[in-house]
Amino acid sequence: MPSVLIVDDDPFIRKLVSTTLEDVAGMTIVEAANGKEALEVARSEKPSIVFLDIDMPVLDGTEACRRLRAEPAGAEATIVMLTAATRDEAQRESEAAGADLFLTKPFSPLELLRLVDDLGKTTTPG
Amino acid sequence: MRLYSARADKEVPGVAVGGEDRLRAENERLRAELAEQRSKTGDEERQLERYASDLRDIFKAERARAEELRDSYVATVRALTNAVEARDAYTGKHAERVAAYGLLLTRRIEPALAEDPQTEFGFLLHDVGKVAIPDQVLHKPDDLRSDESEVMRRHVLIGWEIVRRVPFLLRAAQIVRAHHERWDGTGYPDGLAGEEIPLAARIFSVADTLDALTTDRPYRRGVSMPEACEVIARQAGSQFDPAVVEELSATPHVVLENIRDKTR
Repeated sequence: MPSVLIVDDDPFIRKLVSTTLEDVAGMTIVEAANGKEALEVARSEKPSIVFLDIDMPVLDGTEACRRLRAEPAGAEATIVMLTAATRDEAQRESEAAGADLFLTKPFSPLELLRLVDDLGKTTTPG
Repeated sequence: MRLYSARADKEVPGVAVGGEDRLRAENERLRAELAEQRSKTGDEERQLERYASDLRDIFKAERARAEELRDSYVATVRALTNAVEARDAYTGKHAERVAAYGLLLTRRIEPALAEDPQTEFGFLLHDVGKVAIPDQVLHKPDDLRSDESEVMRRHVLIGWEIVRRVPFLLRAAQIVRAHHERWDGTGYPDGLAGEEIPLAARIFSVADTLDALTTDRPYRRGVSMPEACEVIARQAGSQFDPAVVEELSATPHVVLENIRDKTR
């Protein structure tokens, strides 16, 4: 089962995502509270999916995405940006930084589960 | 908490002149903090609402699926029942009528047992083992020789073998196996007596005889409902559980006749 890294400065969001993916989908979840932590955790855990919030202290999601892409640990991962519905510009920026997908907050847990299911099907051979 | 202390500051008399600017700045900072807190709370609330809304959808889907599953159980059981009755022309809707009589009695005796769908399934499937009985035995118009009777009796265990392999029919299988047991212990296949026989099977046995007596056969006409009940009452304590017979006697004949007339 691929591991998932959830990066958000809001512990509430991290808890929701990890509960959904761990308890329901049986995935392994690692967490980080900002972009800087995310890079450290990614290096040690090599997650196959990274959920990145955009607005975060210390190092924001867009910059974290750019740096992740430049490292072996993040080059192959699927990066999903967590965005507010109205932040078009931030979306474009993170797309340029190498983000694959966007999940709009507030997100639907069913949509989240479908998304990781679909990713599992396309990334895991067999 | 912070808001309260801010207000308290204002009410403290004798705030130094020049402290007013600081106070205003502090006030604004707290307002901004409060606004951010509110917006965060609002975001969290909206996020939880999405979870609640998905949960509602899941519940709805789950209920629809459970209903679908129940329907397919019933359809499966009916298909099996029909397969048996298709070979046994004279019984017509025997299984359906027996199930209706049986459920009526079960509701009066042990309502919880009547709620269990497997009780009805067991009633409907009681003769499913007859699919494996050769035509010359199953359709023989005369009395069966003893070796033929032996073959005929096998339908009970064959039926049990068929049904017990289906997880949603485990309790129904007990009815299939025990539906020819007798209260006095002289029935088959296990020779169980009294309350060793599952209650649903004891009830079934009465319902089965009731239908056999009241249904026209090629060689004889069926008897009336009161007559049939009398015949059964005479067998209380030997063939039948007296408590079940008592319930049958307490049931208005018109109710039983309705079942007979509706399920021909």
